[in-house]
Amino acid sequence: MNDLEARLDRIRGNVAPRNHNARTVAALTSNPGCARRAIMDAAGVDKQLLASCAGFAAQFGQSQFAIGRGNAFEAQVKAGGCAELLRLLREHLQLSIPEVSYDNLDEVGGNTCREVRYARTRALLARAARSDQDAGTLFDHPLLRLQVGGRPVYLEPDLIAFQLRNRFYVVEIKSFSVIDGLADGEKVAAAVIQSAVYVLALRDLLADLGFGADSVADNVVLVCPENFSNQPTAALLDVRKQLTVLQRQLARLERIGSLVDLLPPALTFDPRLDEYGLPHRPVSELISDVRTVQARYAPQCLASCEMCFFCRDEARGTTAALGREVRDELGAVELVQVALRLADGTLTGADDQAEAAAMLRAAARLRSECLDGAA
Amino acid sequence: MDKLRGDVRHAMIGGDRVRAKELRAELRDAEHRWDEALAELADKSQSAADSDAQAPATPVAALRLAPRARVLLPVREQVHQALTLLGAPAAPRLIVAVHEAFYAGRLVSSRLTSLRRDEERSFRAAPYARPYYLCAALTADLLSPARGLLAVSTWPMDRRIIGPLSPRVDYLTAAIAVAEQLQRSGDPEPAARRLLWRFAANIPRAASSMRSMSPHEVATAARAELAVHKEADSAHRTAAARRARTQLDDAAQLFGSGLALSRPADTSA
Repeated sequence: MNDLEARLDRIRGNVAPRNHNARTVAALTSNPGCARRAIMDAAGVDKQLLASCAGFAAQFGQSQFAIGRGNAFEAQVKAGGCAELLRLLREHLQLSIPEVSYDNLDEVGGNTCREVRYARTRALLARAARSDQDAGTLFDHPLLRLQVGGRPVYLEPDLIAFQLRNRFYVVEIKSFSVIDGLADGEKVAAAVIQSAVYVLALRDLLADLGFGADSVADNVVLVCPENFSNQPTAALLDVRKQLTVLQRQLARLERIGSLVDLLPPALTFDPRLDEYGLPHRPVSELISDVRTVQARYAPQCLASCEMCFFCRDEARGTTAALGREVRDELGAVELVQVALRLADGTLTGADDQAEAAAMLRAAARLRSECLDGAA
Repeated sequence: MDKLRGDVRHAMIGGDRVRAKELRAELRDAEHRWDEALAELADKSQSAADSDAQAPATPVAALRLAPRARVLLPVREQVHQALTLLGAPAAPRLIVAVHEAFYAGRLVSSRLTSLRRDEERSFRAAPYARPYYLCAALTADLLSPARGLLAVSTWPMDRRIIGPLSPRVDYLTAAIAVAEQLQRSGDPEPAARRLLWRFAANIPRAASSMRSMSPHEVATAARAELAVHKEADSAHRTAAARRARTQLDDAAQLFGSGLALSRPADTSA
C-alpha cells in the first residue's frame, strides 16, 4: 500500500493534493470507464491546473449567481429554527409535534475547524441514536467523513433529520424549481447521487458507533422551490441504486493499484511549478504523459470533468465524440472516417464490423432516398 | 447623484458588496428626495397659479413627505423597538421585517451586521454606560454567541439562552407577539399581515390562507404548540443561565465566550 501511495504521489508531483467533496465523489460515478479520471482522482491531481498547463483551461465550477441563489433559498428554508422545513417534514415524514430540536453544527463555539466540527457532529449523532427520548431532531450542516481511495474526505450535507422510528434522514436543499410536480431530470439525478454520498458517509459514521446500516433511511428528502414561487416543497427520493453504484466506484478506487501497475514507472503529471506558480515543464512532454493513460470521452464529461476540453480535442474524429449512444451503436467502428467509408461502400470492414457496416449502409441508402425525394 | 452612481460602480468593481449596498440605498434616497423636490416645485407653481389655494401642500405631497420625516431614531433604537415587540432573540432579517411592518422608517439590514460588534466595543470601553445594549444570544451548551441572533441586555439571562428547542420556542413566541400586536392595531398594514402569514403558514392549524387568517386564531395555535415545548425548553434554559451567571464575567455574559482562542492552534495543526 505504501508503494502505491508513493507511486500516486509521484504521479501527482510537487502539487498539493486536491480534496474530494460530495460533487467530485458523485462525479466519479458519471464515467466509470475512464482510467484517466480514476488515476487522477486517486492521486489527488489538480485537474484544473493540469488542464490549463496543457493548454486546455476550462472555466469550471458553479456560477456565483447559482451559489448565491442556492444559499438564499437554503437560508429561507432554515429561517426561524427551520420553520418551513419543519412544516414539510411534518407533512412528508409525519414528524411529531414535539420533535423540533435544532442543533447548528456550522461552528462549535465560534470555531469552524473541520476536526472540531466532525467530533461534535459525531457526539451529537451518537447521543441522538442512543437516546430513547428525543435528543436531537434537526442537525444543520453536520460534518461527515468518508474514506475515498484511502484518504478521509469531509462532507457537509445541508441537514440531517432524525425521527422517532430510529432513523436518520438526509435532507438536501436545492434551488432548482419543481414545476407542476416535475423537475429537471439531470439536476435531480445529480442531487440524488450527491445525497447518496451523504447517506454513505452517515452510515459509515454510525457503523463506527456500532449501529447498523438501517439506522439511515434509503430515502432522502429533497427540498426545492415549488413552481415559480419561493415556496419550498419536499419529495422523498429512493437512493438505493445510487448507493450501490457509489460503493462499487469507491471499491474500484481502492483497487487502483491494478490500474497503476499498467503504467510506465516514470509517468508523472507534475507541471513543475516554480515558486511563482508558473509551469516549467514542456507542454508536449506533459501532454504525451497524460495521453499514456487512456480516457473514455463522452460529451457528458463537459459537465463534470475539468479535463473535458483536453479529452474532447483528443477524441476529435472518433465516434465516441458524437455521444455514448453513437459509440454503442457502432461498436467496433472507432473513427468517423471509417464509418463514412463503410456507409458509402468504399470499405468492406472486418468481421466484427459487419453488423455496424450493414446498418450504416442502410442508413446511407435511406438518407439518399430521402434527399432524392426532396429534390 | 452622479457621484453616488460612480461610487456604487467603484464599490461593485472592487467587490465590496456591503459598501455597494449601502451606497445604493443612499442613491435611492437621493433620487427619492429629488423626485419630492420636483413634486414640491410643481405643487408650488400650481398653487401660485391657482390664487384661492389655501393649503400649502396637497395630501399626496404630504404623504410623500412623510417617509422623509421618519428616520429620526438611530439604528440601535429601531432594532431595540423591534426586539422588544418580538420578546425573543431574532435574526436581522426578521428584525427588519418586523420594523417594516409596524414602525415608521426604513431599516437597512446591512447596517445590522456590525451592530453587535459596535455594542461590544462600547460596553468594553465603558461598561454599563448605556441603559441597554444589543447583545448576543448564548448557546446553551458552550455559552458561546449564537450565530446571527440579536438580543437585548436587559432581558433575563434565560431568555437569551438558545437551547436545542429554543429556535422553535422563540419562533412561536415571536408569532404570538406579532399576532397580538396586529390585534391591538385594529386595521393592520398589508406588510404586517404578510409578516403574520409567514409565521402562520408554518404553525399547525393556525390558518388555511392569508385572506382567512385571523390574528386571534394564529395566536391560539401558536400557544397550543408552545405548550408542548415550553417545559423542556425552559429546563434547558434555566440550567444554562445559572451556569452562565456563575462562570462568565460581565462582558462574556452579554456577548458570549468562544472557543475562538483555540482556533489558531487548530488551524495550524
